Amino acid sequence: MATYTSSEKQGLGSAFFDALGTFYRRRWLLGYFIHRQVTRAYRRSYLGLAWAVLGPLVWVFFLALIFSHVIGIKDRAVEGDPTLNFGLYLYCGLLPFLTFSEALNKGLNSIRSNSGLVQKVVFPTEILPFTNAIASMVDKVFGFGALLVMLLLFGRTLHPTLLYMPVIVVLQMIFILGLTYIMAVLGTFLPDVGEVMRPVIRGMFFVTPILWPPDRLPDSLSWIEDYNPLAYLVNAYRDLILDGTMPGALSTLYFTLFSVALFIVGFALFIRLKPRFADHL
Amino acid sequence: MTPAISLKGIGKKYRITSSKSLRLREILSFGKKQHSQDFWALQDIDLEIEQGSTLGILGRNGAGKSTMLQIISGVLQPTTGTVEVNGRLIAIFGLGSGFNPEFTGRENAMMNGLILGIDRHEMLERFEEIEAFADIGDFMDHPVKTYSSGMKSRLGFAVAVNVEPNILVIDEALSAGDASFKKKALQRMYDLRDSGTTVLFVSHSMGMVNRFCTEAVLLNRGHMIARGTPDEVLGEYRSVLEKSQSKKDAKNAERDQKLDYAIAHEDEDDMPDPPKGKGKRGQRRPTGEAEVLDIKLLDEDQQPAGRVPSGSNLTVRVRARYAQAVDGSAFGAVLRDRSGTLLFATSTDMEEPPLGARAEGEIVTVNFAFGAPFRPGHYGVEATVSGDAGRLLGRTGEPATFEVVAQERLAGDVIQPPTRVEVYDHEELGPAT
Repeated sequence: MATYTSSEKQGLGSAFFDALGTFYRRRWLLGYFIHRQVTRAYRRSYLGLAWAVLGPLVWVFFLALIFSHVIGIKDRAVEGDPTLNFGLYLYCGLLPFLTFSEALNKGLNSIRSNSGLVQKVVFPTEILPFTNAIASMVDKVFGFGALLVMLLLFGRTLHPTLLYMPVIVVLQMIFILGLTYIMAVLGTFLPDVGEVMRPVIRGMFFVTPILWPPDRLPDSLSWIEDYNPLAYLVNAYRDLILDGTMPGALSTLYFTLFSVALFIVGFALFIRLKPRFADHL
Repeated sequence: MTPAISLKGIGKKYRITSSKSLRLREILSFGKKQHSQDFWALQDIDLEIEQGSTLGILGRNGAGKSTMLQIISGVLQPTTGTVEVNGRLIAIFGLGSGFNPEFTGRENAMMNGLILGIDRHEMLERFEEIEAFADIGDFMDHPVKTYSSGMKSRLGFAVAVNVEPNILVIDEALSAGDASFKKKALQRMYDLRDSGTTVLFVSHSMGMVNRFCTEAVLLNRGHMIARGTPDEVLGEYRSVLEKSQSKKDAKNAERDQKLDYAIAHEDEDDMPDPPKGKGKRGQRRPTGEAEVLDIKLLDEDQQPAGRVPSGSNLTVRVRARYAQAVDGSAFGAVLRDRSGTLLFATSTDMEEPPLGARAEGEIVTVNFAFGAPFRPGHYGVEATVSGDAGRLLGRTGEPATFEVVAQERLAGDVIQPPTRVEVYDHEELGPAT
């Protein structure tokens, strides 16, 4: 904040780590921003933050009820487990998907929707996509809590593999952050990307094994699952939460490498182009 | 001493295309077709601003004032040149714009401080000060959506000026807020100035710039065309304004000139005691084409009076002689209270009938009659005669003074307007928000 000179042309590398340092230096700002994002939706309501759990709870309850008692997919052999409730199975896949689609949508608008901050204040803009991504992750943690409640309610055992969930969530966070930064840049410079992404997100819903179990996939189409990072997340969620098994080591390694690469590329792109944001709003 | 701000060869270029699809066609043609134009919002700006000086930035709309402030504050990157800033810089472009309506004033104030780059501990320490300055009472703990726009800017301004910036950049930020807050805000700006804060200040109020700033620059179409004392630069500014005005027809020009005058003097009455002494109002000299012979105050019986009861009807009678023939002119009357606060102004141009062409030596008398719901006290009235193209032909040397005496049941500071009171037994009307 103190002294700056515009002529200091920083190398991309040092700018990159400098920006990472901002997250620590402006941690309070970050905290308030995330808090604001998470609570904003529930501010007007009487129950407030309780809705963050109640909302998903009601939803997952209906999913479980409808699919088991109305549509009658109850006890159907999904992935060879005859006791599995399809509603819970579906919700388990929806959680990572919703984080993904929210991150994409919010990321696209993260600079535009804060034009006041970008154009009027000297502001570390890298905070904006970051808080967006974290806020939707936090929101899904409440959803995860609701899922646990429903698992208990439906009399399912809580597997010890649940303890590995934080690892998956951290990997997911890196993936989501990378995606959000790329989207933030694209959405700012190319408004048309927003229109492109809408059908893409819808397509991802059907291409990812959320509605259908992955073992139904014919071998000729297995690449749909193999090269889909979202499919890895959905499967990992189900493995850890519903089945009590560990996700494959190799696929975890691939996903980790992919996510880290995505983050580095996305963040570097963002840092490189952020001085020009104010001109493009 | 190192300058607070140093600009070297600053330029800012924008590429302007009328539509995105045209721009796409240009990109796809690989440079064969040109649909866009380069527009330099700023060019070749060299400027060093010493620590502790207050710089007024003048210029017409689109002259590049805001762009310059945005480049100085680091929001925009210059296309050419370098900026060097030494010290904590706080920029106010529109107050309270970062506020979120669902959150309380307290939460938003904290957010705003953090956004401006102030440490959380520092904010917590200064919170009382900020709260006292904003002076919005219990609303501090209510959501900002319940605030009036004035309250929002009070809070925004309170945060920005109470964190002791070394450099304060203000872009037309004082236009919102009521007179008492404006006064407080200005007082605070004087305090900051006197404590050595460098202030950069964009305003269209010539009076403000003249009184507040130690120096001024004038921007015109992206170039800095004058720099110097506020007096000198204001002179240049007026000639720039006049040049653009002389192109318009006489009728409009006269109205423009009146409006310009009103705009330029808009906030000068909200000043705390002007430090440069009274009487320096940036008044223009009359051309002498007309002479105000006398100005009289008449009571309800059309008798000259020095004392009138509050709430009665007054007539201001202005008599003037034309020293030269004119095509069109207007008489105006301006009422001020003892401290110089403008109470109201009127003119034949605003009220009709028009005066029309007048021959040399002709004497005209105009009566301005109005109700005077003023508080008891001393008041002054001045008269002006203005001509076409906005020239000031003549004015009273000294204002005529009169006294308003009490009638009854008066409380308040300045005026006693006609008032009607309604009482409702039930909460029929919602609380004002």
